[in-house]
Amino acid sequence: MMSLSLPLMAAVAVLGLLGIGLLGLLVTRNLIKVVVGLQILVKGALLALLLAGRLSGQVQTGQTLALTVIVADTIVSVVALALAVQVRRQFGTLDLQALSTLRR
Amino acid sequence: MFDLLIVAAMLGCAFQAVRGTRLLIAALWLAGASALTAIMMFRLGAPEVAVIELSVGAGLVTVLFVFAINIAGEEPPVTLRSLVPAPLACIVALCAVGLGAAMALPNLRVESSLVQADKFATVVWEHRSLDVLLQVVLIIGGVLAVLGLLAGGRADARKESQ
Amino acid sequence: MPDISTLAILSIALPWAGAVLIWLVRDRQPQLQHALAVVFALAGAVAALAMIPLRSEVNVLDFPLGSAFGQVTFLPDGLAVFLAVVATTIGCLAVVFSVDYMKGEKQLGRYYAYVLFFIGSMVGLVLSSNLLLIFVFWEITALCSYALISFYNDDPKAVAAGIKALIITQVGGIGLLAGALFLYAYQGNYDVPTFLAGADRLPPNVLALMAFGFLVAAAAKSAQFPFQTWLPDAMEAPTPVSALIHAATMVNAGVYLLARFYPAFEAVPNWKLAVVAVGAVTALMAAVMALVSNDLKRVLAYSTVSQLGYMVYAIGAGGIFASQFHLLSHAVFKALLFLSAGAVIHAVHTRDMREMGGLGKQMPLVKVVMIIGGLALAGIPVLNGFWSKELVLEAGHEGGPLWAWLFMLVGAGLTALYTLRFLTMVFYGEPRSGQHVHDAGPAMKIALVPLALGTLTTWLLAGSFGHFLGKALPAGHDVESTGALLLQVATAPTTFVALAVVALGLAAWWQRARLAGLAHSLRGIGTMASNSFGFEAINRAVVSVTEASAESLRTTHNGVLNWNVMAILVGLVVVLAILALGGA
Repeated sequence: MMSLSLPLMAAVAVLGLLGIGLLGLLVTRNLIKVVVGLQILVKGALLALLLAGRLSGQVQTGQTLALTVIVADTIVSVVALALAVQVRRQFGTLDLQALSTLRR
Repeated sequence: MFDLLIVAAMLGCAFQAVRGTRLLIAALWLAGASALTAIMMFRLGAPEVAVIELSVGAGLVTVLFVFAINIAGEEPPVTLRSLVPAPLACIVALCAVGLGAAMALPNLRVESSLVQADKFATVVWEHRSLDVLLQVVLIIGGVLAVLGLLAGGRADARKESQ
Repeated sequence: MPDISTLAILSIALPWAGAVLIWLVRDRQPQLQHALAVVFALAGAVAALAMIPLRSEVNVLDFPLGSAFGQVTFLPDGLAVFLAVVATTIGCLAVVFSVDYMKGEKQLGRYYAYVLFFIGSMVGLVLSSNLLLIFVFWEITALCSYALISFYNDDPKAVAAGIKALIITQVGGIGLLAGALFLYAYQGNYDVPTFLAGADRLPPNVLALMAFGFLVAAAAKSAQFPFQTWLPDAMEAPTPVSALIHAATMVNAGVYLLARFYPAFEAVPNWKLAVVAVGAVTALMAAVMALVSNDLKRVLAYSTVSQLGYMVYAIGAGGIFASQFHLLSHAVFKALLFLSAGAVIHAVHTRDMREMGGLGKQMPLVKVVMIIGGLALAGIPVLNGFWSKELVLEAGHEGGPLWAWLFMLVGAGLTALYTLRFLTMVFYGEPRSGQHVHDAGPAMKIALVPLALGTLTTWLLAGSFGHFLGKALPAGHDVESTGALLLQVATAPTTFVALAVVALGLAAWWQRARLAGLAHSLRGIGTMASNSFGFEAINRAVVSVTEASAESLRTTHNGVLNWNVMAILVGLVVVLAILALGGA
């Protein structure tokens, strides 16, 4: 059972996180929940990067890329949350339906 | 076995984060998922990245979420129907994940022995110094953006309170 | 004496440097801008002229741009250097003309910068032998053309004309890009000489696609049927721009493309026939439209389209030398006609010929040069237009179908007719505008006189020109000396037929009072012609269909995040499914 190998578990984790993150993005109506879903998606991507690094032998490159992704994703979530706060102040709501102004 | 437990817990936390209606609870579940991801990363042989993910993902981002939720205020917990019909969303997401699994899982090889070519620090600072530069630029840009966004808000709030 | 690759780079870089410099010199110093423009245009012309004795049949200047884009190579052979010289010298004369024409206009920096940018990129287009680079320069010239047509950007007509020109020529450019990509796919690089040497290595259907794609691109760029509607509207541009871009240089890019790639495509079935058909139909149609137009520049624009039709027809019939010789003559006399029309318009402040008349006494120099240009256009003997047009007709008679030759013949007669018409309406008769008009300014005269001299003399260069084009001409079409060529034209039976038709055209105008009945019965065609034979209606229909479909597709842009993510996910599923099935 120990050779229920690490790569398999990691792959399951990656796919699971990606699926849950995407589901979250599809179903939520709140702007801040969108950021939550995005974070989960990115964690899946991070694990995928590390796993790919392990499997292809370029371990350090995978880790460096994962580092870059962490930084970038953190910035994204920080700015998105600041935007969400501003949206709440301007429009009084965080509901995606009410916020979409592209509809006729 | 240990790995199986971690993965299961991680997926459970993530699912709860997405499903919940109260924002603060969702942020806490997200923190849990981040912590478990960090442990998974450590198991995958990336200790430095795991530490950073723990401090940033489970620490910084959670604090920011709580901060933002407090400022923005909770929405009244009215259960609104999602805009995309939930069954459709589930089906499409399952299709994507399933196809990904079908393509990726057969190609997983048993892990080969780790040949440590370079230390992590060497790779980061020398081979991929451009990435580091990019990250610094991103951080500065992000800080500026947030300051710009929140400063305007504070001016409005001050105007409102006058 | 710098070597040829330096000269090639200089003839592109000097006008571009001038463009940047003029842009940096703000509009507060118009005198400096005028001076800089003339200096850099002249420098470009000198560099191009210096390339004449140094021309080379192999690629010069091999500069790698990475594996995706191939090498930056230039091939300054006879054809390329000829067009580069035409572009830079007529560009220089047009810039000199602008010193007077644009005196006192605002935003000179923008004007001169775009004109010089255009000259440089036109030279780059003809000198390049990397097909992707040719496409890049092609697009740059289209951009400059658009910017200059819409130069008076608070006039909605000018802006609309600019956008129309841009859209039509860009759509044609897709043909060129497709051809370039096909070449890369089947040859591994974008090198033009390699392609021309061994075009039969490509599978025939790919070659046919390339051939017709290039024909579409050339037809759109040179305003041939069915893409001819943008050129008359482009007359909203300032007249020196019309002279340079829409008479002497940019519209020749299409003809250049066809001439350059003729050796590769001549074996494609029906290609030559298509080229001949496009040229012949355009020539006749545009001549009819020129006959009924009352706007001086529009008449010249239709006349340009018609003469380009002659060149395209000649290429289709295999007479590359005839087409290039006609290109030379046409560039000179059409630039002359446009610039003198510019002088007239500048003096009278209107483009409508019905408000002109009797200007001959007040503008003697302009009258003389315009008559010279007009006679060349009509194909009157001794002027350069006569020799080149006869060569075109001869080549067409030998190499093309008879119905096309008859079209061209009728077109020649119509050309004479409308030439005499516009000359009479502008310069003779009773003065209709009551104002006092002045003759052309000094800078205008400096630009006009060399062009007039050129119209009178460039035909003498026929033999050396043929020699100069050298390898660019298809095998077996070598040209003998000037004397032999002129003798050949003078004694060919087609020449006499053509002269008879031209005389008929002239006589028809002279006797127009008596022919009024005939003119009245042909009024129906006249109305169709002034509605541009329905092509404007087609344009409007295309635009309204595009707008309607865009409006109806707007519902997919509902701005809801969940649906956007859903779309991304569905796309991902499709891609994964294709990969999974394809791999299995």
